[in-house]
Amino acid sequence: MKFLAWIVSAALVFGGLASGETEVANPSEEATEEVTKTGLLDTFVEAYFGARPDKYLIDPQGLLSSKDREEREDFLQYHSGDSEIDLFVFLFSKDDRLPEGGAAAKMKKQFFSEGKPAVLAFYFLGDPKRAEISLSPSLAGAVPVAELRRSLTSSIGEAQEKPDAMSQLEAFCVQLSIRIYWMEQAAGLVNDTAAAPTSDPSTDPTANEVEELPINEAKQWVREYGASVGIMGGAILIVVTGLSIVRRRARYRLPVIDVAPRLGGEHAAGIGAVISFANTQRSPSTQRNDGTDSLGL
Amino acid sequence: MKCPRCAQVIHRGAGLCPHCGFGIADADAMHGTGSISQRRLADMAGLMRSRDRVRVSAALDRFCRRFPQLFFAVYTSSGTVVEDLRQYGFWMLNRANFEDLSEGKTNDGGILLVMDAESKSASVTWGYLLDPYLSEEDTFICMSRAHAYWLESRFADGTIRMLEQLENILRKRVSQARRDPGKFEKKVAAPVHTGEVARRIREGHEQHSISRTEVES
Repeated sequence: MKFLAWIVSAALVFGGLASGETEVANPSEEATEEVTKTGLLDTFVEAYFGARPDKYLIDPQGLLSSKDREEREDFLQYHSGDSEIDLFVFLFSKDDRLPEGGAAAKMKKQFFSEGKPAVLAFYFLGDPKRAEISLSPSLAGAVPVAELRRSLTSSIGEAQEKPDAMSQLEAFCVQLSIRIYWMEQAAGLVNDTAAAPTSDPSTDPTANEVEELPINEAKQWVREYGASVGIMGGAILIVVTGLSIVRRRARYRLPVIDVAPRLGGEHAAGIGAVISFANTQRSPSTQRNDGTDSLGL
Repeated sequence: MKCPRCAQVIHRGAGLCPHCGFGIADADAMHGTGSISQRRLADMAGLMRSRDRVRVSAALDRFCRRFPQLFFAVYTSSGTVVEDLRQYGFWMLNRANFEDLSEGKTNDGGILLVMDAESKSASVTWGYLLDPYLSEEDTFICMSRAHAYWLESRFADGTIRMLEQLENILRKRVSQARRDPGKFEKKVAAPVHTGEVARRIREGHEQHSISRTEVES
């Protein structure tokens, strides 16, 4: 934007020289907004810090194309829906500087003291290493400064690996969104202690999340169906055990039918099979001794 | 129903075998008169080790518990002729007094396995209570289960396996008898008196000839 102001003033000067006029351009014809020491026009300062933003990407200067802005805004909205901490990204040009006098701090105190906790990121497009982040008052005491610093370092590091300004901004937002998850842990906003933050900045949290996904699904399944499956399994076990006991204790009684005695035997005359077990090569049926049956029955 | 000596089929209630004339008196003449006393497991041939005998005794006890009317006995001998196995089983189940048998059980509910070590043969005999429910084929199936063990001289294992198979068969028979007792009663019902049938036929002929005479006159 400074470049635009420079072009305007240069054009005015050049126009005056060309026409031979030496008078200074009429102040009323100059832009009404004065360029502050920050390099920001006053209207932009107001747009940045004058109210609580209604969007997560604050870009009053229009540094991004509408498509890119929409994509970043969608991502930040998604983050907001998924996280206990909102992420607001204040987008500045490479040459801008944050206004002195604590405008950002005032804005933070004035507009972010209430409501959902938030992380405010001041990002300079094309110069990620100058990025700054700040916490809303409710988070300030809950998240350790070291964690805040690690988050910023990690996000800047991710951004610097990208070749162009847009990719850098995207990488910065994604990484900061991930690190905010660890801030939630540190602030005690979520109860999932299994995924405690590590002190190793080289650890890739996304990899951990991917690895833990099946475990979490299993835990979720157990939470939902564990009780009913347990009850059903217990019931089946009881039934099977009961049947086994019943069968073991069962007593079998044959109906008594009067049978006429044969061959003078008082108790028995039932003649069963006779089998030989002398030959290991032959089957039992071939070693069966039926005796002579002259009647052919 | 077969004769223990000639293995010919005999009719129900035959006092003597109509083919060879065999009866209990012949068996007594061969093996002795009067009752003998023995336990359900009588390993006279010494085919089983003491530890195996304990296992077999436990299996016999379990069979007794599950079938309160029945018992299973095992007798091993050495030197019994194969043809005599049937007769010996028939004689023993009629004459033996099983001293370790619980009260209320008689030899009518007995199933006796006789094994001969020398001839390597085994036979099964059963009491009258089981007559409607067991067949020769059933006992063959049971001994077939034991055959592989007996070939390896694992007599205890074979006997226990046979007992398990016999329990399965008898369990089925019990449930079948509950559903359709008539089927088993029919198997052992008294035979139709052939003389009575002949008399009825003759009477029919006589009535027929009388009516024809009346018509002609």
